[in-house]
Amino acid sequence: MFELRSLAFIPIVTDRFLSVAAPSPLTLPTTTQSILEAWVFATIFIGFIGIIWKRNLMMKILSMDVMSTGVIALYVLVATRGGLLTPIVTGNSASTYADPVPQAVILTAIVIGFSIQALMLVGVMKLSRDNPTLESDEIEQGNTP
Amino acid sequence: MNNVTVVWIALPLFIGFSSYLLPRSNRFLALGMALVSLVYGLFHIVDPTPLTLNLVGNFGVILRVDELSGYFILTNAVVTAAVVLYCWHQNKSKFFYTQTVILHGSVNAVFICADLLSLYVALEVIGVASFLLITYMRSDRAIWVGLRYLFVSNTAMLFYLIGTALVYQANQSFAFTALQTAPTEAIALIFVGLLTKGGIFVSGLWLPLTHSESETPVSALLSGVVVKSGVFPLVRFALMFEEIDPLVRSFGVATALLGVGYAVFEKDTKRMLAFHTVSQLGFVLAAPEVGGFYALTHGLVKSSLFLIAGNLPSRNLKDLKHQPIPRSIWLALAIASFSISGFPLLSGFGAKVLTMKNLLPWQVIAMNIAALGTAVSFAKFIFLPAGGEGKPKAGFWPAMAILLGGLVLANVVYYEAYTLGNVVKPLATIALGWLAYLFIFQKISLKIPRAIERFDHLIGVMSLMLLLLFGMVLA
Repeated sequence: MFELRSLAFIPIVTDRFLSVAAPSPLTLPTTTQSILEAWVFATIFIGFIGIIWKRNLMMKILSMDVMSTGVIALYVLVATRGGLLTPIVTGNSASTYADPVPQAVILTAIVIGFSIQALMLVGVMKLSRDNPTLESDEIEQGNTP
Repeated sequence: MNNVTVVWIALPLFIGFSSYLLPRSNRFLALGMALVSLVYGLFHIVDPTPLTLNLVGNFGVILRVDELSGYFILTNAVVTAAVVLYCWHQNKSKFFYTQTVILHGSVNAVFICADLLSLYVALEVIGVASFLLITYMRSDRAIWVGLRYLFVSNTAMLFYLIGTALVYQANQSFAFTALQTAPTEAIALIFVGLLTKGGIFVSGLWLPLTHSESETPVSALLSGVVVKSGVFPLVRFALMFEEIDPLVRSFGVATALLGVGYAVFEKDTKRMLAFHTVSQLGFVLAAPEVGGFYALTHGLVKSSLFLIAGNLPSRNLKDLKHQPIPRSIWLALAIASFSISGFPLLSGFGAKVLTMKNLLPWQVIAMNIAALGTAVSFAKFIFLPAGGEGKPKAGFWPAMAILLGGLVLANVVYYEAYTLGNVVKPLATIALGWLAYLFIFQKISLKIPRAIERFDHLIGVMSLMLLLLFGMVLA
């Protein structure tokens, strides 16, 4: 799950590679784009199913992280529509820059997701004192009036 | 006015964190913040010229303040002030006031933002602040209820975020106006997030447990204003786009009936109030043009009802029938119940008349049934025996004075409602509701199973809602 998160740097990495091997084309081919999109949505879906199917509270939280990783990757993918070059002003007049806005925006969401997960894990720590197995069904039964 | 708005929106964060530095004055600071919002909200109701701000360039934050925002901000201000007064003598820690003020600020932010991403940030901050307030007691149950809330709301917000990405992909913009040309699936995804966050229809069934198991002042805050942060963007969308309007209206009708269907059979005071919140949010959505005023009266009355319910000798309505409640508390309870049933002289009447006037023909029958159900549910409170002994908590009466006083004062917004025809209809509804209560519902004891409120089902329902929304948007 953490490897996937490094997708956030795809534009930068591919840029380096491509500028050595072939200076152009600096855009993703449409088929690659579609395949990546399918993987991204698969990640989101797997995370969502995991939230429902995993019985351990800890695993549920990790599934949610997988889902949010997928969403973050989607933003990075959206950014590559226009091109793969890192959007830094260098004087080159190339027009195939990656869109910086979705990448900048998703940073906020990464930080929010991370802080919410930290909070949840603290909650789980407190709950684990009385429910060491962290089975969500049992915790729920014990705490519903 | 632009600078005033920016200062006003940043002020709660500043005050929230500085209450840690000034532990003795945190109550005063929290109350002061609520009063500032009160003035700001009132100003925008009196002077309804919309104000649009575009901060930090093209992709920056877009804010829009108009009359609709004014009503919601006013609700937030009055409810927060009442809750702070209620907690005045209870030795709440500085942590509590910090979270209350930050929650107040982030809810205000929702009511003025006009782009999808600022909305996302504000809604997530609300989620975190509410979680911290729900778990303030640190008991196992409080932690579980809070965790469940945060989990459901964060998963819903992930769907929202996917929708936002699709909107950006189509328009290169996050502004609300970009929804016009957004793909249908983006609208469905954004709606799943907002409907869940706002406690609407089946995706809002996380709400009853969360609101009924929280502490009294926190319940009042959650039910009074926090759920409206999910409802406000929906109202805004309905007013902006003609295609979305029928979608929002039909969810309004559906949730009004669902909530009231649960509420009439519920025997626990706080759970009944929570289910009733689900139903009342439907009234806000059913007529988006006048949703602001309805949200104001509902916020005032629901937070006062939650504060009253916290001062009753028992939570079970069956026990309360044999255990007379103090006469003064009964009076407050009756005033609030009358207002929410739509009795003249209280602003619940004006709000209900105004909403009923703005319904479309196909909504009228369903909404009248929902209004009847409201009268039935609150007959349970009105027919409770009075005359017992006991004193409410110290801050109870100042809070009631603000909330119930606000209910009477808010009448001026729509004084044209007082015509003979308008007055007769709610009275007939209430009379019919009481009869139905006395002869039918009092005798039925039906226990609706709670299976659908289980955590796994709450998450699963989101996927069903997504399918339903796809169908509705495509149709």
